[in-house]
Amino acid sequence: MDVTQFVDDRPADGVFRVNRAIFTDAAVFDREIERIFEGGWVFLGIASQAENPHDFFTTTMGRVPVMVQRDGAGTLRGFVNSCPHKGARLAQTRAGNARLHVCPYHSWSFDSAGRSKAVKSQRAGCYSAAFEQDDHGLAALPRFEAYRGFLFGSMAADVPPLADYLGEAAKLLDLVADQSEEGLELVPGQVTFTYEANWKLQLENCSDAYHFTSAHPSYIRVLERRQQELSADVVASVWENSDYWKEEAQGVAGGSYSFANGHVLNWGIFGITPAIPLYESAGALAERHGEGKRDWMFNMRNLTIFPNLQVAENASSQLRVIRPLAPGLTEMRTWCIAPKGESAAARRQRIRQYEDFFNPTGMATPDDTVSYENCQIGYGGTVEPWLQGYARGMTATVEGGNRFSELLGMSPARSVLADSQLCDETLFHSYYRAWAQRMAGGDAA
Amino acid sequence: MSAALTRTEAEDLLYREALLIDTQRFAEWLELFTPDVEFWMPAWRDENTTTEDPDRELSLIYYKGRRNLEDRVMRLTSGLSVASLPLPRAVHQVTNVLVLEADEAAATVSAAFTCHRFDVRMNRTDCFFGRYEYRLVLLEGAWRIARKKITLLNDTIPTVVDINSI
Repeated sequence: MDVTQFVDDRPADGVFRVNRAIFTDAAVFDREIERIFEGGWVFLGIASQAENPHDFFTTTMGRVPVMVQRDGAGTLRGFVNSCPHKGARLAQTRAGNARLHVCPYHSWSFDSAGRSKAVKSQRAGCYSAAFEQDDHGLAALPRFEAYRGFLFGSMAADVPPLADYLGEAAKLLDLVADQSEEGLELVPGQVTFTYEANWKLQLENCSDAYHFTSAHPSYIRVLERRQQELSADVVASVWENSDYWKEEAQGVAGGSYSFANGHVLNWGIFGITPAIPLYESAGALAERHGEGKRDWMFNMRNLTIFPNLQVAENASSQLRVIRPLAPGLTEMRTWCIAPKGESAAARRQRIRQYEDFFNPTGMATPDDTVSYENCQIGYGGTVEPWLQGYARGMTATVEGGNRFSELLGMSPARSVLADSQLCDETLFHSYYRAWAQRMAGGDAA
Repeated sequence: MSAALTRTEAEDLLYREALLIDTQRFAEWLELFTPDVEFWMPAWRDENTTTEDPDRELSLIYYKGRRNLEDRVMRLTSGLSVASLPLPRAVHQVTNVLVLEADEAAATVSAAFTCHRFDVRMNRTDCFFGRYEYRLVLLEGAWRIARKKITLLNDTIPTVVDINSI
């Protein structure tokens, strides 16, 4: 595939453009599934989703149904969630506990390490010697690795180790994982939604500082109303207790970091405010990790680990898994992610802040997803196929990090230090450079 | 001399609530709720159980206090929310109304609902369905909603679900 027809990347000319077809073309979509979602590292879930012996949870990588299972000794593994006999989906639920999985179709069974336990009536089956010599266990994912409790798998075996794939962006996962010595958990209650637009719109929007005051004025107005009439009925807003994002704000407000392999961060300075549930740990976190890293934990941070994981810590804290279903249809599975062991009051505050902002039944996310759908409709307009949404920050982006990344000992590929008005778009370049790299090249013979 | 809430009175209130929200008479709709109303739509913990403790588990919507519903109405009608422009057309069917317990001052009522929503923007029709549990109280001579719990059974949300389609 000639990717230059989709991504026009000419740094020397100050040009970076993306073709609308990247969001609509069926051949592009099929190749994304093959090369990106079934051809490299994909986020599966976090270890606490299968906390105890024999716990499992299910997910997908591209078209592949996946089961992540902890065995009796505590080892986590990733399997294709499909019976080797006739291919039926084996585990039927999102999560559960099973020493033994019995296929509901013909009762082949498997232990929690994926080994075959029994082929029903095997001796009476008149099988050939060749069959008897076959392994009847579950197919393991070609690669399965964890980083700080974040679990990843790959359908391609020839990929670099996970640590290399994450690179310096791993330090941003540390900021999530280190908020409690006990680790992370997902608050009970998964929320799933779909939108009728391409998966890359979600990829971009998470990193898009430019849309916030345009797409969310109704939410911002609600926050202003609450701030004027504070009472026990309403939850404190992180946004209203910080000014960095407001269009009239002055000075350094945050910025962006770009990493190899398509990982990006968009961030802003919230400050140490009681509106953030982590406030109760502010002192302890500074002692444990130093003030620089502590302050980073309190920054607004929208992190994307390419291609399907986003951890958004802004109004509250959300873990998102992006699943492309069709060029114009995407499924989002979302959870409130939280440090284990926080106080009941902090947890309650986190949950209330989460529902209003992040839920598809709340007051912010629908104004994003409806905008994605408006984009998808607009992509039909191919008179001028090249989009102009990748140009802000072109003269501000610099190679390497800055004084803020130094606080984490983190070396990004590129960085932008921004005031509230800059709203960098060059961080999207990292997505599309990784995308182009994965999509380019010859087709298998 | 007051009497315990009858099923007819319960139906009257629930049907009226549906009519007011379906016809976008939001101010009158808000008046049906007590100032300290609990308005709750739990999320699903797994295939068979919803979340049960709003302080420790996630809800799709959880508010204590009518002013939060007033905020939602303000947003819906503000003209500032692209997801709410134009407002969808919706009609609720409220059925299976049962008065579970009742006295002169308060009652617990259950019901089933379907809400058909036509999203004019996307030319798309969706149907949401589930159960309601109400706590009704007599306030200044009129029955008011002190608690409404909405159990949404089809919880894979197609882009957006707002307070006007549940």
